[in-house]
Amino acid sequence: MSDTPVDADEVRHVAELARVDLDEDEVEEFAAQFADILGYFDALDEVPEVDREDELVNVMRPDEVREGLTQEEALSNAAETEDGFFKGPRVS
Amino acid sequence: MTAQALEQRELAVVIGLEVHVQLETATKIFCSCSTEPAEDEEPNTRVCPVCLGLPGALPVLNEAAVESAVKIGKALNADIAEDTRFHRKNYYYPDLPKNFQITQYDAPICADGTLEVSVEGTRRDIGITRAHLEEDPGSLQHKGGSIDTADYTLVNYNRAGTPLVEIVTEPDFRSPQETRAFLAKLEEVLEYLGVFDATRDGSLRIDANISLVPADEVDDDGSISDEALEAANRTEVKNISSHKGAEKALAYEVTRQKNAIKRGRAVEQETRHWDESRGITVSMRSKEEEKDYRYFREADLPPLQVAHWKEEIPIPELPDARRERFHTEYGIDEESASKLTSTKEVADFFEDVAAEFDADLAATWVADNLLGELNYRDMHITDVSDRLDEFTRLVELVDADEVTTKNAEEIVLREMLDEGKDPDTIVDEEGLGKADDDEIGGFVQEAIDENPDAVEDYHNGEGGALNFLVGQVMQKSKGSADPGTVNQLLRERLDE
Repeated sequence: MSDTPVDADEVRHVAELARVDLDEDEVEEFAAQFADILGYFDALDEVPEVDREDELVNVMRPDEVREGLTQEEALSNAAETEDGFFKGPRVS
Repeated sequence: MTAQALEQRELAVVIGLEVHVQLETATKIFCSCSTEPAEDEEPNTRVCPVCLGLPGALPVLNEAAVESAVKIGKALNADIAEDTRFHRKNYYYPDLPKNFQITQYDAPICADGTLEVSVEGTRRDIGITRAHLEEDPGSLQHKGGSIDTADYTLVNYNRAGTPLVEIVTEPDFRSPQETRAFLAKLEEVLEYLGVFDATRDGSLRIDANISLVPADEVDDDGSISDEALEAANRTEVKNISSHKGAEKALAYEVTRQKNAIKRGRAVEQETRHWDESRGITVSMRSKEEEKDYRYFREADLPPLQVAHWKEEIPIPELPDARRERFHTEYGIDEESASKLTSTKEVADFFEDVAAEFDADLAATWVADNLLGELNYRDMHITDVSDRLDEFTRLVELVDADEVTTKNAEEIVLREMLDEGKDPDTIVDEEGLGKADDDEIGGFVQEAIDENPDAVEDYHNGEGGALNFLVGQVMQKSKGSADPGTVNQLLRERLDE
């Protein structure tokens, strides 16, 4: 994996999907960092194999309404709000 | 494709649909928040850490949503997967608080079904590729302009997490009319299953894939080779919200593509947005490709193994079967049988009335009178669900000859709907109780005494005279006499 470094175009594409605006020098910086991060995955190859736990199946809950959060609680971490809504930039 | 240019060949329409159906569960698909909007509800008041995508919150699947999906699969003659699982579909948009939507990818709960549609007497099976469970996103408001020009965006997550089933068809439709018939039929079936409420805003949302292929590529059985489908550029039309809208949007799109081809231009492979108010489709910039969604397994939700539920969960008799049975069991003509099976509630009510009275009387009263008057008032059977016993009482009054058919139809039923009164009250207040024979006898004698000229005309063989006298008696009884009885009594009296 680490011998196929991430190129600048891939970084730009991923940044676009994540709606992150990167400068050219940031693109270079992230390309290098991505290569490092992918390199860390190689370390997983050295982890000895273990048997996994039996998989759970059919975990469901009954269709019963429970109280959630109040509007105030729901919005308490939001940077900006308006009339009970979360407020954010234009999305086109 | 042959050397002959596409613009000179006869073209056939190929359409496939993706239908998003909102399930009628009490709670959201992965949390216990209510799916039922309160009247004039405030934004972000039916939310919790799960549907707000707060860190560390764990989704737990709603059993009722799975049951609904199994019922839908059963009704569409689909297979229920032995093993089905959930995936994360990644894209960044503020209506998705987690930056991914939990949906199903390579192991949907239902696959390989069919639904029969009938257009102008021709029946066709439409293939169902798959049906899968997923969560609805929240809703956005673009403030200060359109989506492209707005100053900012407001987000409400009350809808986020509402359970949806997405039904994907094969590209089996050959005309916009067929898609409309299919959607109407699908809605009917879903309504019978009790998993769907057509009156709820946005409960049915449709995307359509449409392309034009050379007509000679279509086999006699309507099938088209994969090569021909691959060769044609298709557009995906989004934002369709009704069967009528689907027919209009697709008719528009057929014309648009035909015109492009006629002018020798290629149809662009793209996503288009149906603008209902302008009646046109407009090109939409599409940012993501399939691979950009980076689907991966939702590790917070264990797999489902519910194939055996198909045997265990009963579904009601479906509209086609019921229509056929109404025809054979009660001898009801096709048109009335269609009306009577249009919704499960109407069909159930008809059968209740038919069990108590005569089937023909029940059919006339439910299919023609009740549905006719409701329709005239833009009302629906669900608006009078709690008053059905009053309609049964009205049929009983007619059946027992206590009120004439004419008065029951023209006065009692209409006042029941317009004024919300029960039939006995109306009959009392309007004095509509059917006159007994003694009383009619009195009116008959009065009419004879008061109209010696008409009596003479009658004896001279003038047919109109009897009708005139019948009219006089009817007037005296304020319509409560039975015209047949009056006719007979008059003749007896006059011929004495």
